Amino acid sequence: MASTVTKTEVLFGKKMKRKEDPRLITGTATYVDDIQMPGMHHAVILRSPYAAARIKGIDARGALELPGVAAVFTGADVKDVGPVPCGASLPGLRVPHHHVLAQDRTYFVGHPVAVVVATDRYIARDAVDRIEVDWEPLEAVAEPEKALEAGAPAVHPQWPDNKAFDYHQEHGEVDKVFAEADVVVKQRITSQRLIPCAMETRGVVAEWKSGEKSLTIYTSTQIPHLMRSLVAGMLGIPENRLRAVAPEVGGGFGSKLNVYAEEALMGFVAMKTGKPVKWIESRRENMLATTHGRGHVDYYEIAAKKDGTIVGIKLKLIQDVGSYHQLLTPAIPTLSVLMMPGVYRCQNIRADIVGVFTNCVPTDAYRGAGRPEAMHGIERMVDILAAEMKMDPAELRLKNFIQPEEFPYATATGLTYDSGDYAKPLKKALGIAGYAALREEQRAARSAGRLMGIGLSTYGEICAIGPSPATPAGGWESATVRIEPSGKVTVHTGCSPHGQGEETTFAQIAADELGVDFDDIIVLHGDTAIVQYGIGTFGSRGTAIGGTAMYFAIQELKAKIKRFGAMMLDCDDVTFSGGRCVCDKTGKSVSIQEIAAASYRAMKLPPKTEPGLVATYFWEPPNFTFPFGAHVVVTEVDKETGDIEVKRYVAVDDCGKIINPLVVAGQIHGGVAQGLGQALYEEAVYDDSGQLMTGEFMDYCVPKSTMMPWIEDSNTETATPVNPLGVKGVGEAGTIGCSPAVVNSVVDALSPLGVRHIDMPMNREKIWKLVQGGAA
Amino acid sequence: MKIHGSHRLPVGRERAYALLQDPEILAACMPGCEALVKVDEDLYEMKMKMALAAISGQFAGKVRIGDRNPVESFRLIVEGTGKIGFMKGEGLLRLREEGAETEVAYEGDVHVGGTIASVGQRLLDTTSKMLIKRFFGRLGERAQ
Repeated sequence: MASTVTKTEVLFGKKMKRKEDPRLITGTATYVDDIQMPGMHHAVILRSPYAAARIKGIDARGALELPGVAAVFTGADVKDVGPVPCGASLPGLRVPHHHVLAQDRTYFVGHPVAVVVATDRYIARDAVDRIEVDWEPLEAVAEPEKALEAGAPAVHPQWPDNKAFDYHQEHGEVDKVFAEADVVVKQRITSQRLIPCAMETRGVVAEWKSGEKSLTIYTSTQIPHLMRSLVAGMLGIPENRLRAVAPEVGGGFGSKLNVYAEEALMGFVAMKTGKPVKWIESRRENMLATTHGRGHVDYYEIAAKKDGTIVGIKLKLIQDVGSYHQLLTPAIPTLSVLMMPGVYRCQNIRADIVGVFTNCVPTDAYRGAGRPEAMHGIERMVDILAAEMKMDPAELRLKNFIQPEEFPYATATGLTYDSGDYAKPLKKALGIAGYAALREEQRAARSAGRLMGIGLSTYGEICAIGPSPATPAGGWESATVRIEPSGKVTVHTGCSPHGQGEETTFAQIAADELGVDFDDIIVLHGDTAIVQYGIGTFGSRGTAIGGTAMYFAIQELKAKIKRFGAMMLDCDDVTFSGGRCVCDKTGKSVSIQEIAAASYRAMKLPPKTEPGLVATYFWEPPNFTFPFGAHVVVTEVDKETGDIEVKRYVAVDDCGKIINPLVVAGQIHGGVAQGLGQALYEEAVYDDSGQLMTGEFMDYCVPKSTMMPWIEDSNTETATPVNPLGVKGVGEAGTIGCSPAVVNSVVDALSPLGVRHIDMPMNREKIWKLVQGGAA
Repeated sequence: MKIHGSHRLPVGRERAYALLQDPEILAACMPGCEALVKVDEDLYEMKMKMALAAISGQFAGKVRIGDRNPVESFRLIVEGTGKIGFMKGEGLLRLREEGAETEVAYEGDVHVGGTIASVGQRLLDTTSKMLIKRFFGRLGERAQ
């Protein structure tokens, strides 16, 4: 029955439970591994145990003899499949040809060498062990600084210096300000390799319909449309005959913002065998062969005047590329350079990046992608400067902030910060933490011989990535809004969420705009056969760009609704609000449901108006957005064990206007967990010969819930002028703000012992040695 | 990974040296050894089963004896590959007479790769010590 009630409740800004959660917590969501098809076969991949080796021969006869094995494919079979794409471009970038299966040589442990297809996953796995490979092991190099040394083994023989690219950026009078500076501090700061560890590993189901000459690839991805375009090219099939579906995706954190060899390989295998094929990555494979994150060695110099004014920043950044460029590998450290001044008013910067090939799995985006590294660097340097100048780190920050009236602010790195008030979250966080009292407490603790630390970070970051000229594949986003004949609303978003809660937040926006019930709205995504072309979910862009695209599609619909309303009410001036069109003169009204029905029934149409209520909008953002915030962390170090206790964690984040405070808090909590993981526990360790030593959760420590501190989270709200919703993005903020605040806190705790810097992860062994007076 | 240690054999040095180069004795004493065949002077082919925490599998490899200095020392070079990865080791064994017994001191380097490295390296140190201890234990029993 048509609603006769005018909706007045505003959902924007309201805490609402997520529409997604019931299916996620009751095991009724459909992930790739839940897909079953008649005649489905299973694929298992043979991977290189060597970081560098020549393949002198492969004998797969033993595998083929095993009952149930349908086929084995090796490098020779797939040499005509197009290369795994690198979407980023830089001048002079060296791009090795990245085959979907190794040809005559492997370049990292985990490099795919052959694929077995069998009727059962276990048979396929057993068959992999029956493939005989004649290996000739070669010298490998796993550390970027070692790879740059003269005489280091060449990862790719054609480039003996192991350099993948050089990148230089400079602004202002760097040499002059450094020469004239009162204080210059320098520090080598690493941001170690991390393993993204999405809860759901990668997985692909490929189905070839020979009659229709069409391929469907179900894959756990953040970018179904881009994956479709690129894999269609790799396989040489028309894009409109490839359907990509991202079903429920159990986390990505950037590791699924990619196009992987296995995605094209499964398409190839399905086409060759004529069978639907499923490949599910094991956890060990995930740690070996899914992209890693970070992998920086940074050399920072920062110059300041006597009063603490920062005048110049220099950065030499060594990026561990790994063996290949994945989709965005070389672009990630350039994001670090863009954000290197942080939230400070410094117009003199110089940055040099050298990208280095190593015999390791490629690095690429991981939660924050370049910005955590940049914020860790600048926020550590500001603390080191404060210690050098014997200034309070909060005071030094306040002194150097870009001021609210300076926005839009043109940075030395070429960005235009949209809006900001950096002192606001800092003052709020210091207030919540009780900063002055904490410093008192610290004095008392120190005189009692205890190691208590207070650390803070004031971060800025780039979200809503991004305007198309600044991205490799278009930075817009799309939305289609369909008001069905019954008045129910179906939204198709081109960004493909995978845990961000956009089915909820988008419904909140649409409910307010259209005046329909929250429960009458569904948000669909991830299937290229259903959803118009889109870019995807990464770089905290979903709501700021995808949500805005939906907002504009709704505005078009509202204009059309008003035309129908005017016709139905026989009135020239109508107002649409709360789900009803009201005639301004008579006060008579008609509901959106009645209008929807009339628009499809089309007995009568307004002038120059088509039947139906459907609108599609592709929104190109004019700029990025720049969220910011302040985290304050109180720690105490146990002298006997080196254990770090996080006693307080205060996070005040400003992500622009907040649609759903629960979703924002959830993003901050998850982000902090990953930042804390980097600060305290996580590190992907390769030995000298390129063997991954941290290949399972016993050796790669991600924080468990019991290891998490209580997070005292709150927000300030500084709207962005970049989009009409005023939202900036919050997917990565928690991670970005976290690691420098934690390290600053622990360095502060150990500063009475003369400690000035600690590289992550700050594990107990490292801290214990420092307390004992040894090197970290 | 560096390994080193020493074990005692309840026999004289000449006997100990001979035992340590007898393929049949070695095959019987090496934990998991399924075959050890002499293919050349100083070169043996070996098949062994290895278990390390949750992973286990068969290795096929070669054992080479070098730098023979009877009855004082010799070098052992072991290479094996299997479905759970590969291992390469090299060690110097030195024999010293201790009354009626012989102390065998070893020191060397072991490299592993593949699943053994990414999953098992944490246990490699203790497991290899345990295996070596078991080997000398069995060898001692045989020697008497």
